[in-house]
Amino acid sequence: MDDLKYGTRNKRGDWAPNKPVETAPLFVFPPKLLAIAKWLPHYFFPWNVIFAASAVAYWALIIPSVETLQTLSVGWALWLYAVNAACVFLFYGAFELHLYVLKRQENRFKYNGKFPADQKNNVFWFDRQNVDNMLRTFLSGVTIWTGIEVVMLWAHANGYAPWLSFSENPWTLALVALVVPIIHEFHFFCIHRLIHTPFLYKWVHSVHHNSVNPSPWSSLSMHPVEHLLYLGTAFYHLILPSNPILMLYQLHYAGFGAIPGHVGFDKVEVGEDKLVDSHAYAHYLHHKYFEVNYGDALIPLDKWFGTWHDGSADGEARMQERYRKRKERLSARKASSELQGAAK
Amino acid sequence: MSWVSACKFEDIEQEGAIRFDHEGRTYAIYRGPDDSIYCTAGLCTHEKIHLADGLVMDFEVECPKHSGAFDYRTGEAMRLPACENLKTYPAEVVDGEVRVALG
Repeated sequence: MDDLKYGTRNKRGDWAPNKPVETAPLFVFPPKLLAIAKWLPHYFFPWNVIFAASAVAYWALIIPSVETLQTLSVGWALWLYAVNAACVFLFYGAFELHLYVLKRQENRFKYNGKFPADQKNNVFWFDRQNVDNMLRTFLSGVTIWTGIEVVMLWAHANGYAPWLSFSENPWTLALVALVVPIIHEFHFFCIHRLIHTPFLYKWVHSVHHNSVNPSPWSSLSMHPVEHLLYLGTAFYHLILPSNPILMLYQLHYAGFGAIPGHVGFDKVEVGEDKLVDSHAYAHYLHHKYFEVNYGDALIPLDKWFGTWHDGSADGEARMQERYRKRKERLSARKASSELQGAAK
Repeated sequence: MSWVSACKFEDIEQEGAIRFDHEGRTYAIYRGPDDSIYCTAGLCTHEKIHLADGLVMDFEVECPKHSGAFDYRTGEAMRLPACENLKTYPAEVVDGEVRVALG
């Protein structure tokens, strides 16, 4: 597969797509119905369908009976932790094995020409990005994921969270299922913007940003506070007219859904000539440039708040202009504090 | 200002950098794509990481830790998370020797 048909590679070996990232044609006025119709299959396939199917499979095969869920116990909590850990290991590990260990598509479509395992960096535990990222994923990521799952299932089973049946409320639940990714995007943008404030960035979010060159295991490599905020998207189902399966879909959208944004490749080659889009470029640019693309491209929140970078020269110029102003503000602040110091 | 001999010109690869320590301070010396020579403070203004370990491309050096970038000709910070400029020092090549003016 010739990735240079789709993008360019610079001297550093970094690949970038030719086409700027586009936001979804939702939330535009007047509505663009044709564009929405063309975009809709990408909304469902493949990622959203995978995460929805995994929620159904969990409900059918993994989640204990409602009677069991009504009482909190270590037994079924540990069972869920074990299943979540195994599924994360297999799902994340499949991408890691295919793209980063066996390097089956070498660096084709890879945003950053370097592979994290080839570089030591003392910002990570044991100087290794993968070791650090995996430990954070399993020690706090999957633990907090499971904790939220247990609390929510217990709440549903005891009537503390709405539990509508699919047979009696098919349209309501279909609508909630349809907006699960939109809820996620809204929630992610809000908490992400929050943890980019200086104090929370320094003590919480910088852990995730240590992975400047993200790879699959970077997806849930976060500070525990960020895990709680990020996976807390399931708590919307305490007030939404919902169902435990949709709550699981919301949780899986966050947990398993973190992968596409951190996979580090624009497209995953499947077989000889099939490509699956990761839609990761917007979030890759966030990891690279820090203060752009707090959300993904589903709701144009970054456009509305002036932090959108689509990978184009215009996007770069807008970012550089914001950066220039920020440096000016910092230098003015520094000069003012030096003046005050000299006056004392 | 005193000129100090730092290394041989050929010690630095084209579009490369080396670390130079002198009197308890650390510096980075760069050889540009046109074989010009520059010297800056050695540590990133963001988190005090040695820039000589970073990637040099054209006239830009990228910090190996968080990818903050600087124009090493002027010391100007070019990309987040680095916001503060690097201090620069005059540098020259005399008879194959790189000399930097410190102090």
